[in-house]
Amino acid sequence: MIEKFREINSSFPQTSYVKEHKSSGKKVIGWLCTYVPEEIIHAAGALPVRITGYQQEQELDDGTAYLYVNNCSFSRSCLQLALRGEYDFLDGVVGGSTCDGVRRLFDLWRKYIGTDFHQILSIPRKFTESAHELYLSQVTQFKQHLEEFIGAPITDEALVKSIELYNETRALLKQLYDLRKSDNPPITGSEVLEVLEAGFRMPKEAFNQLLGELIDVLSKSNAENKGRARLAVVGSVLTNAEFIKSIEEQGGLVVTDELCTSTRYWSDPVVLDEGKTPLEAIARRYLNNFPCARMYPSDERFDRIIQLIRDFRVEGVVSQIIRYCVPYAHDLPLLIKKLDAINVPVLALDVEYGSSGSGQIATRVQAFLEMLEARK
Amino acid sequence: MMDGSSNKIEAIIRACSVITRMNKALPDVPESKNMYYKMLTDYFTRVQRAKEEGNFLAAHTVFFPTEILYAMDIVPMHTETTTWMIALFTGEATELVTAGAEIGLASEICTPHRGIAGAFSLKNALPQPDAIVWSNLICDNTAKSGELIAELSGSPGYFLDHPFQESQQERKYLIGELKGMIDFLEHQSGKKMNWDKLSEIVAFMDRQIELFREICELRKAVPTPFSPLGFMDLLTMDYFFPGQPEAIEYLETVRDELKAKIAAGKGAVDNERFRLMSLFVPPMYLMGFLEKLSHEYGAVSVTEPFFTHWGEGKLDPNKPLESVAQKAYMIPEVQMYGPMNDTKIQRVADLAEEYKVDGAVYYADTGCRHTCALIKLVKDTLSDVDIPMLTLDSDVVDPTMTSEEETREKFEGFFELLEDY
Repeated sequence: MIEKFREINSSFPQTSYVKEHKSSGKKVIGWLCTYVPEEIIHAAGALPVRITGYQQEQELDDGTAYLYVNNCSFSRSCLQLALRGEYDFLDGVVGGSTCDGVRRLFDLWRKYIGTDFHQILSIPRKFTESAHELYLSQVTQFKQHLEEFIGAPITDEALVKSIELYNETRALLKQLYDLRKSDNPPITGSEVLEVLEAGFRMPKEAFNQLLGELIDVLSKSNAENKGRARLAVVGSVLTNAEFIKSIEEQGGLVVTDELCTSTRYWSDPVVLDEGKTPLEAIARRYLNNFPCARMYPSDERFDRIIQLIRDFRVEGVVSQIIRYCVPYAHDLPLLIKKLDAINVPVLALDVEYGSSGSGQIATRVQAFLEMLEARK
Repeated sequence: MMDGSSNKIEAIIRACSVITRMNKALPDVPESKNMYYKMLTDYFTRVQRAKEEGNFLAAHTVFFPTEILYAMDIVPMHTETTTWMIALFTGEATELVTAGAEIGLASEICTPHRGIAGAFSLKNALPQPDAIVWSNLICDNTAKSGELIAELSGSPGYFLDHPFQESQQERKYLIGELKGMIDFLEHQSGKKMNWDKLSEIVAFMDRQIELFREICELRKAVPTPFSPLGFMDLLTMDYFFPGQPEAIEYLETVRDELKAKIAAGKGAVDNERFRLMSLFVPPMYLMGFLEKLSHEYGAVSVTEPFFTHWGEGKLDPNKPLESVAQKAYMIPEVQMYGPMNDTKIQRVADLAEEYKVDGAVYYADTGCRHTCALIKLVKDTLSDVDIPMLTLDSDVVDPTMTSEEETREKFEGFFELLEDY
C-alpha cells in the first residue's frame, strides 16, 4: 500500500497528478509554509502544490550562489530546484513572511524565477485578536488577487467544500497518527512521512481516497513495529523520510513528530461556526494552528509538544534543526529546559536539509538510544 | 546564572573616557568626535547607575521605538549595540559569545544575539534590567532573542510584533502593538506615559531625520568631507538617542563641520581615490584598521543605502504614536525588511550614481542571513550600472572570523581592480 505513495513521490516535484491537472488547462499554485491557506487555492480550482527542496541532501551550488551560504539549506534547495527549471510548471507562488529564509527565498524567486502570480502574506507572530484581524485582511487580499489571476470568483460555497475536503484529510491523518499510539504501531514514522509527502503534490480528493484505504489496511493488519524507545522528532522542516528511517533502523520507534510537514500541517481542523464566513474560519485556524517556532509566546509550541509526548508516550525527543534555522535554534535551550522538567531527554542534532541521518548523526542516535534504554 | 565576568558596561565607560581624554590632547580631532564619546559615556553611565538612582531600566533590541522609553523616563539599554560596543571598546565580546554557546545557542545565531544572551547568563556582566522589550525588526534573531534573555535575566518581557508590510491594516496593528507595550511598561514601571513629552521627542526626531538627510547631501561633495567610516556614528545616534536634544546638537555640529570642510575644499582623506558604497556593518573589531586602510588608500564610504538613507515621510508631533509607527517604516535599515521590491533595489543603483560611487563593499556578516541573501541581488543591480562589488565575509563581533591580513589582501585586490576599471 505504501508503494502507491512512493510511486507518486518518485516523480517529484512534478507528479503525474500535477501533469494531469496542467493538461486539463487548470492552474497549479505553489505554496511555501503552513501559514498559507491551501483551501483558498483549491476553491479557486487550482491545484495547491507544496514547494520543498530536493528530497535528498544535495550540493547546492546555485542555491548558495543566489541566497549565500548562511541561509538555510531548505531555502537554498528550493531555489536551486526553481533555478534549474524544476518548478517551471507552477503558475503562481504564495509565501508567508514566516522566517528570514522564506521571505528572502520569495524575494529572489520573484526576481530570478518570475512565476506569473506571486504573493507574500504578512503573518503576525502573535495570537491576539488584532493579529487575527491583520491575518484575515491578508488572507482576504490573497483571495482577491487569486480571483483576479484566475479570472473567476471564489465563492463561499466553493470555500466550504474545500474546507470540508481538507478537514477530511486532517481527520484521516489524525486516524493514521492514532494508530501510532499503540505499543507496536503498524506503520513506521518514515512511512508516514512518505504518505504526507505524496499528499503535497496531488489533489486532496485522490489523497483522501488513498489514505482511507491505507488506514483500512493498517487497521486490519497484524504488522507490528517494535523499538528500543518511543521517540518524537521535532524541529525544522523535514521531507526526507530516510532521516527517520535511519533512526528506526537503529531501533528507535518514531511514534510522533512536531514538524511543519507532519503534525503541524494537519493538526487542527477549520471550524465552521455560525456567524463566521468561511474565510474567517480559515484565517482563524491557520493562525491558531500548532505553532511554528516563529510565533510568540513559545510556550504555545512547547505546551503542544508536551501534550504530544504524553499522548504518544514518548520517551525521548530528537530535535533536528537545519543549520541557520534561527527560530528553532533560539527555542532549543528553552525547549530542553521544559522537557527536562518532565524528565524527557533531548538529542539535539544540527543537520542540513535533506540529510539522510547517516554518519555522525547515526552514531549520536545510537548513543541516545542506549542512554534511553539505560533509564528504563 | 554562570559565575564570573567583569562588568562590561563599566569597561565601555572607561574606554570612552580614555578616548575622550586622548582626543582632547590631539589638535585635529573635530568637536563632533568629542561630543560623540561624551554621549556614549553618558548613555552607558545612565545604564550602569539606573538601579542606584532608582530608575527603571529596560533592555531593548535594535530598531525598537526607544522614543517611548524616553517619554516615560525609562532608561534604555540597547542589547545588540551594547554587544557591538563591548567588541569595539573592550575586545571582550568573545567571552560573551562563548557564554551564549554554553547555554545551548547554535553557532549560526548571530554573535550580537549570542553575545547578549551570553552576557545575561553571566553574573555581573550587565546590570539586571527591570524589563525586556523587543520586536521582530529586523530578523528572526531579534524576534526570538527577547524571550530567551527575559528567561535568563528573570525579567518580565513584552514582544512588539512589527508587521511585514505597510498596508493600512498593518499600520493599525502596529499602533495597537505600541499601545500594548505602553500598557505593559506603565504596569511594570509604575510610570505613566507622558504624551506631551512624546510629542516633543517626535518633533526632535523629525529634526534629527532632516539633519541625517542634510548630512547625506553634503557627503555627495567631491572630495567627500565625511570620515571614511563615520556612518557608524550616525547609526548610533538613532540607536541610542532618538529624539534627544543632544543628538540634534551633535548632528548640527557634524553638518557644520562638513560644510566648513567643503568650503575649504578639504576631503575626509588627503587624496580621495575611491568613493565606496558600504552595505551592512563592518566588523567592529577591525574598525581602527579599516579607518587606517581608508586613509592609506584614499577610500571613503560615501553612501550606505540601507544605513543612512531614510525613507520618505515626515513625523507629526500632533500624532505622536502614529509618528512612532511612521518612523519605524522610515528607518534606513527597515528598508531591507518587507519584500525587496524593484523600487527598493533600484534605489541602490540610483544612489551609486548620485554619489559618484566607484565600488561597493558588502560586509557579509556570517550570522546575518537576511542581509547576505541580498548579496546576489545587489551585486547584479550594481553590475548593471558598472559598479563592482567586494563581498567580504566577516562577523560584526567575533574576531576569530576575519583577520587584518586577510582583509587587507582583499581590499588591496579590490582597489587594484577599481584602478583598472
